Amino acid sequence: MKARQNGRGSNDAPHVCEGDGLSGRFLAKLVLLNVRASETRYGMTVVAARSSEWMRPVTSQEPASAIIEIDRVSQVFQTSARKDHLALSDISLTIEEGAFVSILGPSGCGKSTLLYIVGGFVSPTSGMAKIKGHAITGPGPDRGPVFQEFALFPWKTVLGNVMYGPRQQGVRAAEAEAQSRALIEMVGLKGYENFYPKELSGGMKQRVALARTLAYHPEVLLMDEPFGALDAHTRTRLQNDLLTIWERDRKTVLFVTHSVDEAVFLSDKVIMMSKSPGRIRQVIDIDLPRPRRRNELLLDPRYQKYVVDIERMFDDSDEAGPAL
Amino acid sequence: MTSSAAMAKRAAPVFACIGLLAMWQVASLVLKNDSFPTAIEAIRAVPSILGDKESLINIFASLRRMATGFGAAMLVSIPLGLLMGRSAAVAAFFNPLLMVIYPVPKAALMPIIMLWLGVGDLTKTLVIFLGVSLPVIYHSFQGAKAVQEKMLWSGAAMGLSPLQRLVRIVLPAALPEILTGCRTGLVLALITMITSEMIARQSGAGNILFNALDMGQYDTVFAMIIIVGAMGICLDAIFERVRARLVRWSEPQFDIPLSFS
Repeated sequence: MKARQNGRGSNDAPHVCEGDGLSGRFLAKLVLLNVRASETRYGMTVVAARSSEWMRPVTSQEPASAIIEIDRVSQVFQTSARKDHLALSDISLTIEEGAFVSILGPSGCGKSTLLYIVGGFVSPTSGMAKIKGHAITGPGPDRGPVFQEFALFPWKTVLGNVMYGPRQQGVRAAEAEAQSRALIEMVGLKGYENFYPKELSGGMKQRVALARTLAYHPEVLLMDEPFGALDAHTRTRLQNDLLTIWERDRKTVLFVTHSVDEAVFLSDKVIMMSKSPGRIRQVIDIDLPRPRRRNELLLDPRYQKYVVDIERMFDDSDEAGPAL
Repeated sequence: MTSSAAMAKRAAPVFACIGLLAMWQVASLVLKNDSFPTAIEAIRAVPSILGDKESLINIFASLRRMATGFGAAMLVSIPLGLLMGRSAAVAAFFNPLLMVIYPVPKAALMPIIMLWLGVGDLTKTLVIFLGVSLPVIYHSFQGAKAVQEKMLWSGAAMGLSPLQRLVRIVLPAALPEILTGCRTGLVLALITMITSEMIARQSGAGNILFNALDMGQYDTVFAMIIIVGAMGICLDAIFERVRARLVRWSEPQFDIPLSFS
């Protein structure tokens, strides 16, 4: 459960990881952004450089509090033949603040639906989801989605897309622009500020989508197979960059994927789901050190064991499937 | 090589026009019919129409009604179409009504509207309005329906209210489709403009045309047809310029290859 604590203690310098094409200069800028954001939002004068530290409520009793609680959620869809399809069956789940949690499962297991319920885009048929103790009744800027389909605003430039959220939240234009430019640089798209989405590749679009969501400082990132539409090379690079960004910021991330490698590489915790009806099959804590480097991790026998074990569990259920 | 291909592409419409006029000229010389003047005779009559103050007042009166009807139709049809595209209930309410009105020639409603509103500007503008509305509603509806759900979710997560999402996401996202409808609407506005003036003759370009027809001034009739055609081409070209500017961000599949499609 507390796997993420491993990396945290040893990772308090504001410029640790220089790798993966992200230079320390704009990581430092990001840290600066966090400080400014915290000043404006909470009115603090003295704040730590890392959001994970100031985000943690000082008054709270539990040190690692649950940010999202999913309580006996079921979702029924009506299919074309007027049959009820049970997409999610009785899901209960708690996600702790600052954790990187992946929901892993075959297509059609309802993992995206679960994410949409947390996002407030879909109302569950029964049960409820809560964020910080409040029932989720609709979307809100505390939960920022990143979709496989990118869903950028095609009539806005890269800068316009990233600025959209802050402007909507009432941030002044000059300030929103400065923050957005720093974010665009952080996701590796400096020089593309005035491009339209149609002029970008899939990987670049997804970088813009990530920057656009980070720009309005959501407390939870909801990532719906974000790298699913990308080629293998781009996917790897984006995974690396996402981890680098996340290790600065330690936002809570709920990450839907059907890739076992991806889930193990990125996550503190992997929630394995099974199909028809969508159920939680197993929750696995990924106890691997952070910051994680791909080249080190791929050689790490612990990493390999997680991947093999999880794949074996899915294979078992596939074989058991037709026999039932 | 590409520049010569581009030049050929640019010159093609000019050649088409010249070819059409040449065929007209030959046909009229062969048929030798009084009511079918040659192309040269018709073109010769154009300057006398455009030089006549009375004719110009008529033509501008037509254009003013057309602009009013077209503008009013956009103001009503675009919001209605967008609402229909995003709300199944609104669509279910308006769809049957529109399906009934769609195939009715709008000019056929004119006699009734004339009884209510007289033969003045209001009647003609209303007919133009009706003629333009339906394609604009239909395309706005299609455009709004096709807006990616996830795009709206992204907006909702940023805190946009449903109305803000309609104005700030659905409207721009559907704009290429809406403008396609408007372009069709513009041509229909020109058509209904002329037909409305045919039925309620009082002023306008149609008035000149049909009065000349009554008096057997066939060169004027054909000259007016040329003028109306030229107006159509010019308006369409201007609109296409504006459209291309407004949606230069969009994927090329929204481009319309030919005029009057």
